[in-house]
Amino acid sequence: MTFRTKLFLIFTLALVVSVGLVAAAVTEVTRRAFDQMNAQHSDALVAQFQREFAQRSEDVVHRVQGIADAEGTVRMAIDLSRPKGDVSTYVNDATGVARAHQLDFLDFISNDGSIISSAEWPARFGYKLEWVLQPEDWVARRSFLMKADTQEGPALALLSVSRVRVGDKDLYIVGGERMGREFLASLVLPAGMRALLYRNLDPTFQAANLIDSTGPATQADQFSAIVQKEQQEPGEQIAKINWTADAANAEMFHAMPLLGRQKELLGILLIGSSQHDVVTLERQIMLLSFGVVAIGLLVGALLGWWGAARVTRPVRQLSEGAREVAGGNWNARVNVRGRNEIGQLAKAFNQMTEQLVDQRERLLQAERVAAWREVARRLAHELKNPLFPLQTTVENLQRAKERGYGEFEEVFHESTGILLAEIENLKNIVVRFSEFSKMPHPELGSVQLNEVVRSVVKLFEAQFGAVGRPPITPELHLEEHLPLIQADATLLHRALENLILNAMDAMPSGGVLMLRTSPAADSGVHLEISDTGTGLTSEECERLFTPYYTTKQHGTGLGLAIVQSVVSDHGGRVWVESEAGVGTSFHIELPKHPPRRSVSFPISFDYEKEKEKEVEPEKHKQEA
Amino acid sequence: MLLQRLAITSAGLAVLLAALPGETARRPRYGGVLRVEIGAAVRSLDSAVAAANDEEDAAKWEIESLIYDTRAADGQFHGAGPFHVTAFEAGKQAVLAATEDYRLGRPFVDSIEIAMARARQERILDLELNKTDFAEIPAEDARRAAERGVRVSQSQPDELLALIFLGASESKRTRAVDLRTRQAVALSIDRGAIVNFILQKEGEPAGGLLPQWSSGTAFLFSTVADVVHAKELSAQIVPAPKIVLGYDSGDPLEQAVAERIAVDAREARVQLKAQAVRPGPENATDARLVRLRMQSKSPGPALESFIDTLGGITKIEGKAAPDPVSPEGIYNRERAIVNSYRVVPLVWLPRVYGLSARVRDWTPPGPGESWPLADVWLDGPVEAAVEEGKK
Repeated sequence: MTFRTKLFLIFTLALVVSVGLVAAAVTEVTRRAFDQMNAQHSDALVAQFQREFAQRSEDVVHRVQGIADAEGTVRMAIDLSRPKGDVSTYVNDATGVARAHQLDFLDFISNDGSIISSAEWPARFGYKLEWVLQPEDWVARRSFLMKADTQEGPALALLSVSRVRVGDKDLYIVGGERMGREFLASLVLPAGMRALLYRNLDPTFQAANLIDSTGPATQADQFSAIVQKEQQEPGEQIAKINWTADAANAEMFHAMPLLGRQKELLGILLIGSSQHDVVTLERQIMLLSFGVVAIGLLVGALLGWWGAARVTRPVRQLSEGAREVAGGNWNARVNVRGRNEIGQLAKAFNQMTEQLVDQRERLLQAERVAAWREVARRLAHELKNPLFPLQTTVENLQRAKERGYGEFEEVFHESTGILLAEIENLKNIVVRFSEFSKMPHPELGSVQLNEVVRSVVKLFEAQFGAVGRPPITPELHLEEHLPLIQADATLLHRALENLILNAMDAMPSGGVLMLRTSPAADSGVHLEISDTGTGLTSEECERLFTPYYTTKQHGTGLGLAIVQSVVSDHGGRVWVESEAGVGTSFHIELPKHPPRRSVSFPISFDYEKEKEKEVEPEKHKQEA
Repeated sequence: MLLQRLAITSAGLAVLLAALPGETARRPRYGGVLRVEIGAAVRSLDSAVAAANDEEDAAKWEIESLIYDTRAADGQFHGAGPFHVTAFEAGKQAVLAATEDYRLGRPFVDSIEIAMARARQERILDLELNKTDFAEIPAEDARRAAERGVRVSQSQPDELLALIFLGASESKRTRAVDLRTRQAVALSIDRGAIVNFILQKEGEPAGGLLPQWSSGTAFLFSTVADVVHAKELSAQIVPAPKIVLGYDSGDPLEQAVAERIAVDAREARVQLKAQAVRPGPENATDARLVRLRMQSKSPGPALESFIDTLGGITKIEGKAAPDPVSPEGIYNRERAIVNSYRVVPLVWLPRVYGLSARVRDWTPPGPGESWPLADVWLDGPVEAAVEEGKK
């Protein structure tokens, strides 16, 4: 993953996280606000219910008291107080009186608790309503909730009791209103809220006992948990009901117990507030957040891409520059402006590369000078030997000329022979130098290194055991499963010849020449050529591959240079390990595929070309 | 309303006293129009046209009794009666004129105007306001009507209100109520409360199928509720029975009685639900209330008539009795039926009539008898004004 991509992802992630956090915070704040609002609404509704309840209670008290105070009721009480008072006369009175006073419940109860007349259950006359006879200050009690029996079954009633006393006999008037859907319908509810009433008339939850302002509540079974909890432990509680999988259809319910005269649980008021608005708002916030994130992503992508590109461009340029430098292009420069860290880094990079180039130039210059000096030394050394005989011979010819013709003729013939021999010697020297400069480029093909090794060793077999020379014993340790490599067999052959010759020179008293092949890393091959010669010093090891450097009396110093040149052209490497008195080992490691030829710094000196350029410019022109 | 009921005025009392037989030993007077109001709407006087309900059937029978002379054993009327129809508006009004050459003599009144489809309260109110001379009043309203100054006349209690447990019916998806349940319900019913409160003390509790004045053995049948025993019986029934008791949706008395029975059954822990039904056999109820009117003063024929009627409704024990005429045989048949608890007699109802002050020589009809309107005569305007003034 590129730095630019990472930077872009970081920008994006930061944006998403920021928007997400803001959205979450807004959602939470909104939810709390809604919860608070719902709680306020619920509290207000509970307060409204309580006010309505209190008002209705007072209303019921007044109406029942009004019935008790009516003349008809008083006359009834007087009539029934007589010894032979006929209660049957009044059996139907409650219905009409209840209707006139808009009461759902009205019972005239005699002194012994028998029902004289009942509006809610006319056929119940004659039966007793004994709780009325319990010692209780009904005036102080005002009104209360009660489970009342009706023809249709038990009902929740808000009742009040009044008493008319004539002589020592009482006439009780029990009246009230049904706590049902009409009562719920009278509550003024804010939008999104509703009130339900569970009439706790049965020991267990009964769906039919749950009503709202329109009648029996739908999906009443969903309330069983709330109701059962309330039945077990009456008190205000809050519960949420998810009607469907959609959270917007959920409702939050505040449950309030309605207690009776004996503090028994008679009803549960359930105030529900729809979660639709809050969920819708949350969704809108989420949608908006997603929109902002999407737009942010788009803008962030563009800005991030632009910003990342802007930020990473110098870094990328630096990276490319470093890569070019690593690839050998020391002239690479980074064009980065600015005074920030990146700019300073780029400036330092450019300075570094400039210094590297400068140092390399100086190094090259020094090496060139050193190489030329070495060439000059070698040339001087090589040429000095033939030149001295030439000079001596020419001086002899001059002296012979001065002495006379006879001696001259004799000296002349002898001297010309010497001159020609030394000139031939000079020519050979020039040819060797020329050959080194003419090292061809490898012509690659599949090569089995073991075969090359065997062919070279076979070539030298005669010399290993030549008469008059201490024998050299070759030992071959060749890996049978050596991989094929792409190489120039001829050049490898030549390099191997030089190494074997070098080893033979290192063993004037004979010894063991060991050649070992083995696989190398990346399917390459490794060749080790060891001798048991006198070994080399560390200084000699360092300069061993320098052209024209030799430790031998008559060496040209080009053999190992050729080896290094061949190995280098194959993308391999060659190194030497030597220990004085033990022997020397040359190691060659070749890759399976040589790298493509690249422009490399010319560390070798093409004597032939130099010679041609300087000595025979005309010939170059002709070849062109 | 309460005051009206409580205040039995002296004028009203005087009217009641004046209506007593023998109080006015005056010579009958011919002439006048007798105004009659009935609750039924008679659609046709053609005997071939069936009545829509029992009420219409009864009203039609009363009118036919006035316009025909005799009734054969097959129920068909024959001969010209004391009156003949001069106008008939189906369901609204009928005018009958006196037949001058009636074989038993011309009726006293010149004509009878019958207003149909008059509600019970309207009839009572019209009687109170002297807008009508004759109207039938429900028994449960008799006391209230009398308290409001209406001249009331009632027959011997000859109509039995009974609870009938129906047999099983697959078509109606009903099962027969078992004996213990039937007995528990029967024992739970407080007949005294029905008579005293619902009927306002008009009528008698019924324990048997014949009234005491007819059979003389009615006192042998208990009419007292035994809630304790009823509870014991219902406790033995598992699962708890659920009974639907049907009553005529157009009969307030049946509704009140059915609801009271439901309350009494509840006390005995029997779940009984009163449900209004339309008259007819197609109702899917376990039991229903029926009114049985005696067709004869004699206990034997009366019981036989009841058995015939009840046999079409439920299973009746003792249908074929060895001695159906002797008092003992009649009692045994009654006992067999009552002890099956398929028929639970509740109350005996009298027929109650409201009369205006000018109606004279009125005698309540007995079982199987029609209104004797051909025998009544009306006071003249002067006498009527005097009577009205007394009122």
